[in-house]
Amino acid sequence: MDFSDSPDVAEFRAGLRAWLGEHLATYADGVGYDSAEGVAATHRWHRALAAAGYVTVSLDPEYGGRGLSDLYEAVVNEELAAAGAPPPPPIGHIAHAVADFASADLKARVLPGLLGCTESWCQGFSEPGAGSDLAALSTTATATDDGFVVNGQKIWTSWAMWADRCLLLCRTEPDQARHRGLSMLVVDMDTPGITRREITLANGSREFAEVFFDDVPVPAANLVGERGQGWRIAQHMLTYERGPADMGWTGRLGNVLAAAQEGVRSGRLPADDVLRRRLAAVAVDAQVLSWHVARSLVDRSSADPGSSGSIDKLLTTRVEQELYAVVGDLNGAAQVVGEQRPFNEYLWARAQSIYGGTQQIQRQIVAQRLLGLPRG
Amino acid sequence: MQIGLDPEQRALGKASGALAADLASGWDRGRGPSDVASAAPSDADWARIVEAGWPALRLREENGGLGAAAVDVAVLVEQLGRHSVAAPVIGTLVAAEQLQALGAPAETLEAIAAGELRVAPLLDAGLLGFAPSAEGALAWDSAGATLAYAPDGSAHALGEPLPTADVTRSVRRPGARVTDRDTALRPPAGDDRDRLHAFVLTLLVADLLGTMSAALDAAVEHATTRTQFGRPIGSFQAVQQIAAEDLVSVEATRSALYFSAWAVDALPPAEALRAARTAKAFASRSGVAVCQDAVQLFGGIGMTWESPAHVWLRRAQTDRTSFGDEHAHQAVLADLDLAPGA
Ligand SMILES: Cc1cc2nc3c(=O)[nH]c(=O)nc-3n(C[C@H](O)[C@H](O)[C@H](O)COP(=O)(O)OP(=O)(O)OC[C@H]3O[C@@H](n4cnc5c(N)ncnc54)[C@H](O)[C@@H]3O)c2cc1C
Repeated sequence: MDFSDSPDVAEFRAGLRAWLGEHLATYADGVGYDSAEGVAATHRWHRALAAAGYVTVSLDPEYGGRGLSDLYEAVVNEELAAAGAPPPPPIGHIAHAVADFASADLKARVLPGLLGCTESWCQGFSEPGAGSDLAALSTTATATDDGFVVNGQKIWTSWAMWADRCLLLCRTEPDQARHRGLSMLVVDMDTPGITRREITLANGSREFAEVFFDDVPVPAANLVGERGQGWRIAQHMLTYERGPADMGWTGRLGNVLAAAQEGVRSGRLPADDVLRRRLAAVAVDAQVLSWHVARSLVDRSSADPGSSGSIDKLLTTRVEQELYAVVGDLNGAAQVVGEQRPFNEYLWARAQSIYGGTQQIQRQIVAQRLLGLPRG
Repeated sequence: MQIGLDPEQRALGKASGALAADLASGWDRGRGPSDVASAAPSDADWARIVEAGWPALRLREENGGLGAAAVDVAVLVEQLGRHSVAAPVIGTLVAAEQLQALGAPAETLEAIAAGELRVAPLLDAGLLGFAPSAEGALAWDSAGATLAYAPDGSAHALGEPLPTADVTRSVRRPGARVTDRDTALRPPAGDDRDRLHAFVLTLLVADLLGTMSAALDAAVEHATTRTQFGRPIGSFQAVQQIAAEDLVSVEATRSALYFSAWAVDALPPAEALRAARTAKAFASRSGVAVCQDAVQLFGGIGMTWESPAHVWLRRAQTDRTSFGDEHAHQAVLADLDLAPGA
């Protein structure tokens, strides 16, 4: 048992810290999703991080990664959070799906832009009629002589407004039952027939959209893996999205917690005994979460995080939502009257139990796949 | 970085689990509260415990012990909890570690390691920590123990078991002095005290983990076999959602145990104690919650004396209270983190 950094991890960490010390100030300003300038600043930051070799470090070197274990992804997340830097690009799950399933040709074509952050991507899974029941999706890709023609609608697509490419889960085999009829396509977002409409999030953030596909041609070479393999690829991807490295949240929660503790110490956030105890309780949970994430990253024997990623996501959700609730209560009336950034962060925490599969769906995965309880 | 058990620790877990299961099978919960078997092991069982090296596990070699790491001891204690072993192994380990930290002479510790001297730790009346003296103290997990030492080295005989929630472990009052068994002790250095405290809290986390995982596994097993409305109750979402959250709690507690056990030997004492308080607070909350859920998932049978569900809940509540529950530790952590100038 050893929770301390191995020499390799320590060296990697030190290198990243030094890089951040030198470059963070140049890039970190104005990063966000609420304006065109914010988005541009975000992309500059991501490109700088990628150029320095700190994006998707767990991918094979032949695809532009460093072939490191998932633990290093967590180190990147941790160090960026500790330095007060904006998050890394949230592309690990997409990169793994493409790297693990796409043809050599497709990989060569799209991975450099994805990993270099010169092209941005979105994930087109959810539809108005297919959320938790993803396999019910009805966007079709009909085979033609040289590829597919896509028709349908996606919704809740993060970053779609400015994405260059979309990883699209769609139905190619209409005669096959649900899961078996799905395929994964890489769709260029500037193809004629695609319409995007922005959806503003409850916290005012503008990173969301719905996307309409109207006779959109997609070349056959943009099929990821085989026809009918879409469900498997989507599952593989979701385990990464739910897994600890890609959520990368614990460091950021640590910052929120530390700020709240500092606020109480300094008297800026008046806290009675009840609030102090609640803050201490959620500090306990946050600490346990970070130990748990370390353990699941190191324990992970195969490349695929598997269903245990759902445990990690459920635990993260517990901690994140309770933490923001306590911070909100520490803010007292200021939470509802005055500058609304803290309230918007609290609101954002409510999304943690919805995206990437809702809390209820994660529990169902844990109950059926990990505990072996029978399907209903 | 290597998180998780190594092959030797896994083998230790397996061997301890086998003996723990066997010891537990000989213990009779009885037909009702008044006829439950004593929590004290038979002489034959105690001999097996001694032969397995459990009382000697953590004592240093110069004191007749095996010098095991805290992680190894945690591996054993998880199995004691898992099988609700009714024998005062944890009490013995805690008392031995305390006496070692207080500089007890090697011959005393050797006698404990050899199973000849059967001791129990003295806790204050609130079960919050070691008692400053025998006055008003409680000898904790003391079934079958013959002596308890106060920090001044005075030896005390032990009275009859008090009524307790836990049916697998006993608490007794220290009684008459046994002056010819007095031993020389010295006050511990602050560092030793913190490390001792961290070690003890870690053992309780391990017992909670074993207890809660046994309760969850049994509840899941029950949910797959019991049918209502023509199907297994485990196929109902409401049941699945409860069980899934419980598994999250169990796995998180395991992570907390691993860190806390590693920290006892690897980190500076103050940091190890902080980690152990954190782990104990978390495990106290989640251990009791999971055992309560198990009672719920068993339905009516879970409320009967015959069912093991209450045995787990009793044990979890006792572990939770012993050496401070979540409120006690969170209050200390709040002071550490939130006091002005901290
Ligand atoms: C911030 C954010 C970002 C997102 N980004 C993306 C993205 O980039 N790409 C993308 O494809 N999607 C994205 N999503 C969509 C997200 O994956 C879906 O919202 C989610 O899967 C839930 O689907 P739904 O919204 O249709 O809700 P529904 O499935 O309608 O669920 C509504 C409620 O019913 C419950 N429920 C549904 N079915 C069951 C069941 N079988 N058992 C028990 N309870 C059930 C749910 O738990 C939930 O509480 C994002 C969502 C959010 C909030």
